[in-house]
Amino acid sequence: MRFLLLLLSLAVTSAHGQFKLDFGRIVDTVKNVGKATKDIDEPEEIAIGRDLAARLLGAAPLVNDARLQRYVNNVGRWLASQTERPDLPWQFGVMDAPQLNAFAVPGGTIFVTRGLVAKMRNEAELAGVLAHEIAHVLKKHHLKAIQKGAQTSLAGEALSSALSNTNSEARAKLISFGAEMYSRGLDKSDELEADRLGVVIAARGGYDAYGLPAVLQTLQAMNAQDSAVALMFKTHPAPGERLDSLGDRMQPTLDAYSGQPQLPERFTAEAKAAK
Amino acid sequence: MRTALLLVVLPIVCLAEPAVVIRATDLKQEPATDAPTVAALAENAAVDAGERKGGWTRVKAQDGAQGWVKMLLLRYGGPGTAKQGETGLSQMFNVARTGTSGTTVTTGVRGLDAEQITNAQPNAAELSRMESFAATKEASSGFAKRAKLQAKNVEYPAP
Repeated sequence: MRFLLLLLSLAVTSAHGQFKLDFGRIVDTVKNVGKATKDIDEPEEIAIGRDLAARLLGAAPLVNDARLQRYVNNVGRWLASQTERPDLPWQFGVMDAPQLNAFAVPGGTIFVTRGLVAKMRNEAELAGVLAHEIAHVLKKHHLKAIQKGAQTSLAGEALSSALSNTNSEARAKLISFGAEMYSRGLDKSDELEADRLGVVIAARGGYDAYGLPAVLQTLQAMNAQDSAVALMFKTHPAPGERLDSLGDRMQPTLDAYSGQPQLPERFTAEAKAAK
Repeated sequence: MRTALLLVVLPIVCLAEPAVVIRATDLKQEPATDAPTVAALAENAAVDAGERKGGWTRVKAQDGAQGWVKMLLLRYGGPGTAKQGETGLSQMFNVARTGTSGTTVTTGVRGLDAEQITNAQPNAAELSRMESFAATKEASSGFAKRAKLQAKNVEYPAP
């Protein structure tokens, strides 16, 4: 009899436990659905950025030249300080790859390739490219695209664990999806917006505002079949179209700040390792 | 440096990049809107382009007239002048080519093609190295000052 009672009470307890568990899970799921639709916060953005930056560095390491890396960090950090997100952990790197490209990673990590730096003529051109990438971070273009993609590929619950548990399977999926973004590209409108804001940010930093258009013209003059620009051309609007768009929207700003320094000498001295 | 010297000494020789103007425009004597007009250029007119000054690029028209046009109106490599350059692949092959047999070894060649990005494994050590090169706000401000860069208030364009 006592045995039966014990058994009964165990059954009740376990049923109660089961109920609590289910209820807890429902609450979690409801919370997570909310999570999937609300913004990823800044610490999460920075953490996702670190994972993505490590992946990109797995494809191409940095150019092994401290002088070049410090130089690019100085130019980039100065520009980032002129923006509405001056206190992100901004860092900049020149990747050792012959392809011409540049990447912005959420949270303030920016890459430019040795191949692209080698085509530049002065610091204002470098500033123009870095400013374009900084604009992607300011506008959270990649982060929003990753979040949008995660909502369709990961359930709300999975996105939540991808954000809270950096060792989870969901996290690995999220980062893989994010890395793929760099081979698929953003929306055209995001790229054209980053061009416009990039011109402004370079001008704010005191550089010749024509630095970015000058690089776009260099790219436009290259053969689109050249494998060094294949990925860049696949993931961005054609350089001619980008120049058209800047001409339509930014001519007054460009001309107002066209007389600012280009700094070809400092660039030549500091970026020697990329040539 | 030698290129820069040539630019100064022989500006005509450097007007060597074939380009077209995307809209009808005036060829100006100086790089300024209020400068005298040297000639009128028709839409798609072929020119040889040289150095840039501010928003202007020095060009030579087909009839030999020289002057300046707005740089944003220029597109390089006019009709039938598409470049046949190939830098990336050849560069990578040069790195990868080993021995006298000319055998091309593709393993170990890294880079940033779509496939390489997709298949990359995280490199945490390289990320730590990158962090060690980061500049502080203060340091970068001193760096800007040394080149006499002056911060300006410039508004973003309306979205």
